[in-house]
Amino acid sequence: MLTSPAAKLVGLLLTAALALATGLASLALGATEIAPAVLLEAFVAPDPSSTQHLILWTERLPRAAIAALVGASLAVAGALMQTLTRNALAAPSILGINAGAMCFVVLGSTFFAIRSPLGLAWVAFLGALVAALLVALLGRERRGGISPVRVVLAGVAVTALFVSLAQGLLIIDQERFESLLLWLAGSVAGRELEMMTPLLPFFLFAAGVCLFLVRQLNLLVLEEEVVRGLGQRTGRVKLLAGTAIIMLAGGAVALAGMIGFVGLIVPHMVRALFGRDHRWVLPGCTLLGAGLLLGADTLARFVIPPQEVPVGVMTALLGTPFFLHLARRRSLAP
Amino acid sequence: MGLSLSCRRFIVMALPVVCSLWLPAYAGATRSIEHALGEARFEHSPERIVTLHQGATDSALALGLAPVGVVESWLERPMYRYLRDSLPTGVRYLGLETQPDLEAVAGLAPDLIVGVRYRHADVYPLLSRIAPTVMAETAHDFEAMLELMGEATGRERQAEVQLEAWRERVQDFRCRVSARLGDAWPQSVSVVSFRGDHVRLYYDGFARRILDQLGFRRPAGQEGAGWGVKLVSRERLPAMEADAIFVFMRDDPAVAELHREWTAHPLWQSLGAVKRGRVYLVDPVVWSMGAGILAANRLLDELYGHYGLQDTSDRRDPDRADSPSGQDSDGPERDLQVLDRRGDEWPHGEDETC
Repeated sequence: MLTSPAAKLVGLLLTAALALATGLASLALGATEIAPAVLLEAFVAPDPSSTQHLILWTERLPRAAIAALVGASLAVAGALMQTLTRNALAAPSILGINAGAMCFVVLGSTFFAIRSPLGLAWVAFLGALVAALLVALLGRERRGGISPVRVVLAGVAVTALFVSLAQGLLIIDQERFESLLLWLAGSVAGRELEMMTPLLPFFLFAAGVCLFLVRQLNLLVLEEEVVRGLGQRTGRVKLLAGTAIIMLAGGAVALAGMIGFVGLIVPHMVRALFGRDHRWVLPGCTLLGAGLLLGADTLARFVIPPQEVPVGVMTALLGTPFFLHLARRRSLAP
Repeated sequence: MGLSLSCRRFIVMALPVVCSLWLPAYAGATRSIEHALGEARFEHSPERIVTLHQGATDSALALGLAPVGVVESWLERPMYRYLRDSLPTGVRYLGLETQPDLEAVAGLAPDLIVGVRYRHADVYPLLSRIAPTVMAETAHDFEAMLELMGEATGRERQAEVQLEAWRERVQDFRCRVSARLGDAWPQSVSVVSFRGDHVRLYYDGFARRILDQLGFRRPAGQEGAGWGVKLVSRERLPAMEADAIFVFMRDDPAVAELHREWTAHPLWQSLGAVKRGRVYLVDPVVWSMGAGILAANRLLDELYGHYGLQDTSDRRDPDRADSPSGQDSDGPERDLQVLDRRGDEWPHGEDETC
């Protein structure tokens, strides 16, 4: 772990460099390789008649932007959830938030013909909220408080419920509901930038909440009684942070479907590097989350060429061993 | 107790076996047919036929058979319009091709079940206990399917007549299209299907094999093994490059949206086939789902249309495909064409003399 602020700053710069490197790889690599010189040229002097410039501007760039945004959002949402629930296993994909958002998006788009990005986002928020409430309710202990084990079990159950609802549609009519696979598996391919722009205010709001709450979030890690003793009104902090989680995770699902494990593993990696101070954890999660998903999405193009693997499958491949490692640890505190 | 139960079970199970050994002595010669998963024996020509594959249903109707049970179609449910009128009214729908209702199959007491290896290999042991079952090796070869079903139902001759007519049409098309296109023949063509979340580019399959027969070429890079490739990113659009592109898709908002996004992309606009206006929207039922000889003939009809060729074949009306003489009653114009065609001496290679 990096201790001095200078070391942490260097660490953060290195993380930023990693995100930049994976971002450039995501722009340059794929079915058509784009040489660095051409990449530069495409930015400095775009030429609409060049196929490579076209591919870069219309496909690779939107794809990289969405991958970065989704990765960062899921990682930050995971960090917030782990702080809020004081549970190392908490993450949008573990506690059913992603599955709830996905299920609502799927139902909304198939039965209510919701197609606009904003409409899908609102439906995703609603689904994320329903799932979160359901998990909180099921994870509650009889004498109050939320049990770390129960909440994870509740998350697993709620995830199974929402995923099976969506899969049920596939069984009814695989031809008609084929596009659901995209939401189930998670993918950032073939998206347009216009899908992302209407959602930016929500992501900005969540970022604002994070900035505003950094100090309070640091206190939330302490015991509930200590926090109260310090005169903190935890209710409002939790409500705001919860809203940010819903917007980050719901927005990510509305853009890319269910992408698991980014929200689980990135916060742990970041805390291992920077400690528990949210002033470092949250920017670290933003950069590393973006870098991880950009890297996974680039790798996904080369696993079984010329076919592409959905990026959600890639993150699951990376994340499952990590989840097992965490689950084997005794303490569930983050 | 246990002993008596297993004893009883043995008798119940052995009874049909004993009966089947005993019956042929009365029923006369037993025919046996080799198929993809073994051998099926028939004591008489099957009359209660169950088809578990789209191409088998198409082939059954082409042979003038009236199946008692069929699987549902993928589109235009419960059955494709081009087959619907030829099906007997009381036909039982047995669920999806991927998961047919075996209880309903058994309930129909069929005497022939037709399936396809890649779909029904797992349930073949059960199916063959319900009734003699024949399995086609692949869904892509409608000629083999027709031959197999002809053999199983004692209609080899009808099958051969149909296939002969098909081969004649193929020759006719090849002759006419090469006369029409001159140096531009043979053409390379891509077969593309827009789906809800991706685009499929076919290297193999029902339509692709017919196009091969007709002399169309595959574009460079499309010779790979397997059915083809799923394209998820529009940067792969150049993989479709060909002299002409055949596109099919379902009528569905998600598919229409994807089609709009892809065809609006500059890379689509820069495809040679798009620039020359040679993208043909074709019927998904005919090009991909029908998978039998009736669908194949319809596919060829569409091609004659797209290439502006005169279709003067004496193809029988698909709905009355079992009538052996090939009489058409579509009106005097068509009859005249048929007569003209019969007057030909079949000189090859010259314009309009195919």
